[in-house]
Amino acid sequence: MMRVILEVKEQLKPNLPIEAECITPKNFLDPEREFHVWKGNKELDLTDIFHVRKDGNAKSAEQVEITIRGDSSHIKRVGEYMDGGKIIIEHDIGMHCGNFMSGGLIEIRGNADSWLGREMHGGKIICHGNAMDYAGSGYRGEKKGMRGGLIEIMGNAGDFAGETLAGGEIIIHGNAGDMPGVDIKDGRLTIMGDCSRPCGNMAGGECRVFGTAYDMLPTFRNEGPTTIDDVTVTRFSGDYTSRGLGTIYVVNCKYMD
Amino acid sequence: MQEIKDMVCPFCGCLCDDVTLEIENGEIVATDNCCAIGNAKFLGKNRLKNPIKKVDGKWVDITYDEAIDTAVDILLDADRPLLFGWSGTHGEAQCVGVHMNEILGGVIDSTTSVCHGPSILAIQEVGHPGCTLGQVKNRADLIIYWGCNPIEAHPRHMSRYTTYADGYFLDNAFRNRKVIVVDVRETETSNVADEFIRIKPGGDYAVLSSLRAILRGKGDMIPDSVAGVTKTQLIQVAEMCKTCKFGALFFGVGLTMAKGKYKNVRNAIEFVDDLNRHTKFTLTPMRGHWNVYGANEVMSWMTGYPYAVDFCRGVAFYNPGETTAVDILARKECDACMIVGSDPAAHFPHSCVEQLRDIPMIVIDPFQTMTTTLADLQIPVAVTGIDAEGTAYRMDGVPLKVKKAIDSDYPSDTEILTRIYDIMLEVKGL
Repeated sequence: MMRVILEVKEQLKPNLPIEAECITPKNFLDPEREFHVWKGNKELDLTDIFHVRKDGNAKSAEQVEITIRGDSSHIKRVGEYMDGGKIIIEHDIGMHCGNFMSGGLIEIRGNADSWLGREMHGGKIICHGNAMDYAGSGYRGEKKGMRGGLIEIMGNAGDFAGETLAGGEIIIHGNAGDMPGVDIKDGRLTIMGDCSRPCGNMAGGECRVFGTAYDMLPTFRNEGPTTIDDVTVTRFSGDYTSRGLGTIYVVNCKYMD
Repeated sequence: MQEIKDMVCPFCGCLCDDVTLEIENGEIVATDNCCAIGNAKFLGKNRLKNPIKKVDGKWVDITYDEAIDTAVDILLDADRPLLFGWSGTHGEAQCVGVHMNEILGGVIDSTTSVCHGPSILAIQEVGHPGCTLGQVKNRADLIIYWGCNPIEAHPRHMSRYTTYADGYFLDNAFRNRKVIVVDVRETETSNVADEFIRIKPGGDYAVLSSLRAILRGKGDMIPDSVAGVTKTQLIQVAEMCKTCKFGALFFGVGLTMAKGKYKNVRNAIEFVDDLNRHTKFTLTPMRGHWNVYGANEVMSWMTGYPYAVDFCRGVAFYNPGETTAVDILARKECDACMIVGSDPAAHFPHSCVEQLRDIPMIVIDPFQTMTTTLADLQIPVAVTGIDAEGTAYRMDGVPLKVKKAIDSDYPSDTEILTRIYDIMLEVKGL
């Protein structure tokens, strides 16, 4: 088992974003590997940004656990292309955390910035705080977003959560913002709280809203009541702007009429 | 007095190219064929006379050489410079800007990100069923203006291309061309519409979805009222669109910046796409700045992306919401800024303007603006279309040569930017 502790050093220009896609468990297996990060237009060594402590040995990514301490709210792309092992982030994390991730676990004890788990394929992300916009979404112009794995957000999510969702599962325990699951194709999006305008242009997949869906789109057909885990919900099929192959379950909904 | 005909107006995306200017003693004294806004630009006064620099909180006059050296120092010292604006200058200057951004490792963004940026995001998702304005003028028998007010913002749009224009393939274009206006309030434009759809703010997406469902024969499921629009009107409008010979949908910031942003535009594009199963229909964004389309063209062909291009790591990265000027400023992620032909202090949110105040800022602009008050350095330049010339793109993507009317001592944007760029190359040993 290898434990890596990365403690963020105090920064001279603390608001400049730092891109650190090299922080994945697999990369720490090679003792000779150099770690470079980018701060603005300057390429720096990992040790310029973090106090790095490494204990133990590991033979595979699964045996590596990385802990990020200190103010990491401006550090982007942590865990990008991660395929195994564990990353624990003790505070907030910057954008694009867990992009393209295919395995392993990322645990964020603070809040996550936008594009959490963008185009994720597998593995698990748990965010104990809130996530900003585009959690589990796709990239600009891309047809498919998240394709597999699980994102669990204990707090609230911003707008466009699960945009172009094409597989896997997103669970939001708080509220979601506007247009969660817009252009959703497959997979499952669960919102325990409220949201507005879920699943516009839905082509497939499933969305469950256990609070109120405000400004519900008129192009979903009410298919009557049903129950999920003893909770009475209304089932809707849609979106009939296309073939109406998706399903939304909502406890309450309001229309903008 | 000298009269120059067929000049191009450098104000809005219509780029009217039939303007007549009257010149007396090397100054423009009158215009003809121009709208009130274009006229005001041609006759604009209060040009800044020479470069100015803020020293201990006071403005000091400096020479162009000093100004260029100061600009180079500010930009080369930065770890994440932001080069913003670009829609108010010609394509040749924009090219130099992109080259400069590449060697600086900065972020280049145009005013697109605060107007039709969402349109481009939607176009990247589902394409652009567009055409030139000439096609609209000569063929379209149905015009939709969605979330825009051309009578006040693009004053000659209707007379040159739509409602009041003659069409080669239309008999009695004025009577036979129908106009639908969609907006959240009555406007000058809605007053001349054949059909006015008044939507509740934020209801565009639901209305577009409903229209699409009606087109697909699912009208039965639509409730009696959608975002303030009656079902009867929705069915009527869908029928008008389906039965026209050639429809053209123009949309403005009322659609792109309303709740849902680019997904509204995507829905509009898909609505137009659905209509093309029944008739010919096209869609054109009502671009604001005269050369904002050009900024997108230049950045696309040079970097692969139309705006918000981040070169910090030496290669182009694009992600509006992350690399757009407003987001970078609000998150205080840049440490120097150069503004070319734009006035962000007048238009950006307060937190962004605060960041502009707190970092070194260079402004390249002919006039004193709100942004001047926050700048550390301003370099006055010639105005394209008046005393400088260059290429600009109309809102439908047609490039036009913007000619100059008079000579002046002011250098053009291209000259100033090239001088800054050349010194940067020298300093970097490139």
